[in-house]
Amino acid sequence: MKRRDFLGGALLGGVALVATTPLLGQDSTQATPGAGPATGNTSNLFDMNQTAAKTVRRPPKRDAVASMSPEQRDALEHDIRCQCGCTLDVYTCRTTDFSCQVSPAMHRDVMSLVEGGYPAREILDAFVDTYGERALMAPRKQGFNLAGYLAPFAVLALGAAGLVFVLRGMQRRSVAVKAATDAPVAPLATDDEMARLDAAIKRDV
Amino acid sequence: MILVGELALWVALLMAAWSAVASFSGGALGRDDLVTSGRRGLYATWAMVTLASIGLWTALLTHDFSLKYVASNTAANMPKVYVFAAFWGGQAGSMLFWSLILASYSAIAIWSVREKSRDLAPWAAGTLAAILLFFIATTCFKANPYDRLSFIPVDGRGMNPQLQNPGMAIHPPNLYLGYVATAIPFAFAIAALVTRKLDAEWLSIVRRWSLVSWFFLTIGITLGMWWAYVELGWSGYWAWDPVENASLLPWLTGTAFLHSIMIQEKRGMLRKWNVVLVVTTFLLAIFGTFLTRSGIIESVHSFAQSPVGVWFGAFFFTILAATIYFVATRLRDLEAKAELESMVSREAAFLYNNLVLVGIAFSVLWGTLFPVLSEWVRGSKITVGPPFFNTVNVPLGLLLLALTGIGPLIAWRKASTANLKRQFVVPVIVGLGTGALLLAMGMRNFHALVAYTLAGFVSGTIGQEFYKGIGARRVIHGEGVLPAAFRLVARNRRRYGGYIVHAGIVILFSAFAGLAFKKDYDLQLKAGETKELVDPLGHHWKFISQGVSTSETLNRFVTAVGLEVTRDGVPQGIVTSEKRQHFDSNKQPQFEPSTEVGIRTSAALDLYVVLAGVRNETAELRISFNPLVVWVWIGGLVMAIGGLIVMWPQTERRRAPSGYVATLAPATREPAVVR
Repeated sequence: MKRRDFLGGALLGGVALVATTPLLGQDSTQATPGAGPATGNTSNLFDMNQTAAKTVRRPPKRDAVASMSPEQRDALEHDIRCQCGCTLDVYTCRTTDFSCQVSPAMHRDVMSLVEGGYPAREILDAFVDTYGERALMAPRKQGFNLAGYLAPFAVLALGAAGLVFVLRGMQRRSVAVKAATDAPVAPLATDDEMARLDAAIKRDV
Repeated sequence: MILVGELALWVALLMAAWSAVASFSGGALGRDDLVTSGRRGLYATWAMVTLASIGLWTALLTHDFSLKYVASNTAANMPKVYVFAAFWGGQAGSMLFWSLILASYSAIAIWSVREKSRDLAPWAAGTLAAILLFFIATTCFKANPYDRLSFIPVDGRGMNPQLQNPGMAIHPPNLYLGYVATAIPFAFAIAALVTRKLDAEWLSIVRRWSLVSWFFLTIGITLGMWWAYVELGWSGYWAWDPVENASLLPWLTGTAFLHSIMIQEKRGMLRKWNVVLVVTTFLLAIFGTFLTRSGIIESVHSFAQSPVGVWFGAFFFTILAATIYFVATRLRDLEAKAELESMVSREAAFLYNNLVLVGIAFSVLWGTLFPVLSEWVRGSKITVGPPFFNTVNVPLGLLLLALTGIGPLIAWRKASTANLKRQFVVPVIVGLGTGALLLAMGMRNFHALVAYTLAGFVSGTIGQEFYKGIGARRVIHGEGVLPAAFRLVARNRRRYGGYIVHAGIVILFSAFAGLAFKKDYDLQLKAGETKELVDPLGHHWKFISQGVSTSETLNRFVTAVGLEVTRDGVPQGIVTSEKRQHFDSNKQPQFEPSTEVGIRTSAALDLYVVLAGVRNETAELRISFNPLVVWVWIGGLVMAIGGLIVMWPQTERRRAPSGYVATLAPATREPAVVR
């Protein structure tokens, strides 16, 4: 690559960087939810937002019975994110930190929906309706989110294809060179040299 | 001393700037006087940064609350060890800590090559001084630990209680030692690219420092997992938090480099790829810092809304552009000296290993950034948590584990069918035997079964390599098993140290797979009440509550619950979990209450007791049975020991093979010779 080509590319990159800088600035102001008046000089670890809980209730279904066992409900709570800012799921947060008022509130909502006869999928839908998709510990495998799940494998597959392509090329060149250099050559080493080599190898093992 | 430290920080800024200018000018103009001055400027920078650090430590330990940093991160009643550790507990202090480590590393690296690498040293010194300049400038202008308050508070805010843990005191320094060490290989890569001297000299320096980085990152990551496990109380050690991911990224690419460098050393191949990996590792260390200090990513660890993020972003793109320029304009100098002869060879296996390691690094980076991308594209926030990362990374991790066992079994250059059969038969039998045994014992979890089968396979590979090596020594030298094993490792540190690292990986993956069988229980227990639970191995545990107690100690109120524990009727002692409310010198509560977990460790599983809270004299508890957790720490330790063996310097006498050099014939150049 010539210096001029590089500088041209760098100029384009610079323009792109300038274009994305406002995005960085914008995002940096909406950092950790619940982060209080933290300054850059404070210790890390988050500040809890105790007011983040919203009500997620639905009327019970007709002749409702509990839609799942307590174990299944706990497993479901592993898929719902506590909104206090801890990044834990509801089950883990409520059983770890009694001072959090958000995860117990979300747990009560889950219990209410379970007792109202709602299956897991509908309970998750209810939380997504209220909090948005960030109520889930992982994005659903649909729409744009599929790019998130598939990109690593696609990149790996592309990398593998590229690697095989490069290796095949190298292998072909190697065979061609070997054929060209396969002419008879003088003995590679004398018997004395081979004996000394054997001794050196034994010493190094 | 505090004033001296503050002044020293500004002098360090000037020294670093001078060192960069003098070193680059000296290198470009071929003037030894400038080169020497630049080098001495680097030493002076180190001296000044050290003084600045001593000044800050003095301010912390003497509780000089006129400094905003001291008042924000410490309190008068904090234990001294955590006051000392507060140096790296906050944003500004950690920036100075980076500078201290970088200045120390730079001085050592440049001093050690000042005579040997006269061509590379000026450019490496200049690059390191420029990086140092960035860190010191960011510290001075955007996160200065010497910033003063307009008033002097009676006491400081204190440190988050969860940071007041021995793990927190030692794991960040190890991570920093690992992150910062990536700058040395980067600097020498830039020096080699600038001077077009991309031979064995830069490779040897880069390999040594890459090992240093890998070693400290391994220890730092393991200690970080341990801290999270014993301190945070959520019963796990890895949450795929962006800060955790940021530490994993350079470790992954650094590991890839330490494999692929062997191919360049032995065959002169992968020269471009190795430069890319060295540079990527450093860039990822910087990018991780940018991520966690810019506030762009949500993390429990993040230094929220920090002003240094934009500086790190600009720095990242600057070094990215500079590196792309140098690599793009030196592609011819990076041509391979040999060609691959077979797709079934050790070289090819290392490349497959590189592909998977870099693939995992990509998937971790992608998952970390996906919330930002999703918000940018769709305008809605999402969470990318453990379920996402486990879905994507478990298959890739298992593939990596398989390659860990396959690579050492394949011959260099070209493996014959007979060779493959001979090498693979024992490891495959061990692997399949392990899987069949576990299946027969009732294990039905698919991922765990695959993990243990592969762990058996890799163990078979490692065992076979040691068996053959020890056997050869016993036949040739007539040694006993233990002396033969010791000398085998001592004389082939790189190879057998590497196998010990692989053994650590096997232990780690086995421990990770154990979590598939984790069991959690919620309990409410009043004093004297009893509860019986069954662990994943079928043992019956009985818990008798000793009641809730309260006390005051050091800088905290403590609420504790003691449980008398028996397993299958055998007493296991008392397990205690605490809730701590820290207070300041005026006994005013500070921070949210924190949890002290009660842990009873055995080789098979951990009993993990968390006091979530107390309501009406009733303790609300979570009791978890976490299988094989202790093996995570042991695996990390084994990996670190293996790394230490690999990087332990070998004496010249042993390294030089007595005047004989068996040269593998590069396929493109000349036939094999023995000279």
